[in-house]
Amino acid sequence: MVEPTAIVGVMEFLTFLLILAAAWLLWRRPERERLAFGLLIVSCIIMMILFLIGTHTSLVPGVNI
Amino acid sequence: MTFSEDRVRAILAWVVIILVVGPVGAAVWLGVLYGESPCILCWAQRTSMVLIALVGLFVLRYGPRPKYLGMAVLLGAWGTFMAIRHSGLHLARDIGQGFAAPYFGAHTYAWAWLVHWVVLLTIGALLFLLREAQADTEPRPLTRTGTVAVVLFVAVVAANAFQAFVTTGPPPFIGQADPVRFSLNPKRWVWMYEDEIAGRVSLRGRWTVPKPDPAHVEGVTDPANGPLADLPVLTTTNRLSIRATLDGRLTDLAVDPATGRFLATTDHFSVYVLDSSLARIEHRVHLDHQYSIDLTPLAGAAFVGDTLTVLATNKSYVLLRPDPDADPDREWRHFKETTGGIAELRRSRFATVRARQQYVLSLAYERDSDEFITVSVPSPRHQRMVVSRFDRRDRMLASEFLPRLADSLTLNGPDRSLAEYVVTGATVADGLLYAVSAAYSTLLAIDLERKMVTGAWRLMDIEQPVGLAMRGSELLVAEADSEIVVFERPRGAHR
Repeated sequence: MVEPTAIVGVMEFLTFLLILAAAWLLWRRPERERLAFGLLIVSCIIMMILFLIGTHTSLVPGVNI
Repeated sequence: MTFSEDRVRAILAWVVIILVVGPVGAAVWLGVLYGESPCILCWAQRTSMVLIALVGLFVLRYGPRPKYLGMAVLLGAWGTFMAIRHSGLHLARDIGQGFAAPYFGAHTYAWAWLVHWVVLLTIGALLFLLREAQADTEPRPLTRTGTVAVVLFVAVVAANAFQAFVTTGPPPFIGQADPVRFSLNPKRWVWMYEDEIAGRVSLRGRWTVPKPDPAHVEGVTDPANGPLADLPVLTTTNRLSIRATLDGRLTDLAVDPATGRFLATTDHFSVYVLDSSLARIEHRVHLDHQYSIDLTPLAGAAFVGDTLTVLATNKSYVLLRPDPDADPDREWRHFKETTGGIAELRRSRFATVRARQQYVLSLAYERDSDEFITVSVPSPRHQRMVVSRFDRRDRMLASEFLPRLADSLTLNGPDRSLAEYVVTGATVADGLLYAVSAAYSTLLAIDLERKMVTGAWRLMDIEQPVGLAMRGSELLVAEADSEIVVFERPRGAHR
């Protein structure tokens, strides 16, 4: 079981900084496409982790399936 | 890692095979062999899966052309919408109250949702991994509009970063479940992370409730170890047994005060009307528990005049009535087997508030108030005893309460609670709800007006009590093995 405390070192603020950095690269350093795309991927992963932290006590909606 | 077009085709072939053999093929198999019939919405969703498989065949034959992949995405999106729309009818009901039969723990509308979602994931993954034949290697210059878009993007995201810093803070702080309003005053900033990481990881949270077996309640049976202290013993006065052969273990018993007949349910979804000697079967039906409001095992029975009411553990109920003119062909849709001369009037569900996410193992009917009464059973997630009353006329919730304890009764310790009792049978007389608990073999008397447990007695020499019925001054405790232990109705709890 993954303890939430192990992944709490990520947060929304950092995500926005990474997105800003990716946008800056696309705008001013378009040849760094790989780095910008990598930042996009990392941002997505952080976003997903944050979402899972917020829903980890009931990963499936509280309804009948 | 990238895939060549040939490899994508090979993967897609397997996707088509899995889709056709899995949900589409299994649906036909279930229909032919087990009588599973889809509703109109189920048909539309199954057709969508077939069309997606057809698109896959187009790709295998002609390659991953954009219009094929676009069609697959559109179908996946439309199928997901259909599944959400369909599931929306049932997702919010109480625990165990689905529609038709579940497979591998989920109903077909939920499976359709998952299948279409997986289709979209698969298409996305294949497109992501498909090797580009003629990719541009040089970046294109930005147009004027493109430059405006990039500048606006940077400005807006920078503003978001500022707001995120103010409202959630730097590492290790994260967003809050219940944020406060924005302020530029640093003294009012709330930076935290403890609340969001509290609590254990769980797949279904408060919906993690094990399904009870009405014919076999596990746990401590010795009343001396129960939550109530120093209870008097109620002495057995007689023993009876159901001599008619039932098709399973008994799960509840009721007595018709007008005729003395018995109503019995079993863990095989059968309902019996027995004569007053318990030897002859007057009527018997084997309910189809899958169509279309699904029934978990039957656990409650009550006479309401000439109407027979049976209740499943998921609070779904069925109303039956002996009727010499019952049409066998019409009743075929309700019963898997029947002795005839009996009709199903209605099948629906009780909806509770305080007892939500709890199962029930008993049903009583009070003639004076014209109400059905259920008592919820505890689970590791929900430790409470809830008495719910439903108006007989519309079968809607009339009132609910958590019974308190009368001053004459005391708990065995500060950590003990009435919620430890598992009520498996209930009956009403003179404003008192008598409830038998399989846990700690105890009889409770609950004053319905004062919403209070006013009496409790230890029951000796009973095993797996599943039902409670009143016959004159006698209380009949029915056991899962069709034995009945008779007690004289106690006087101490009379109002």
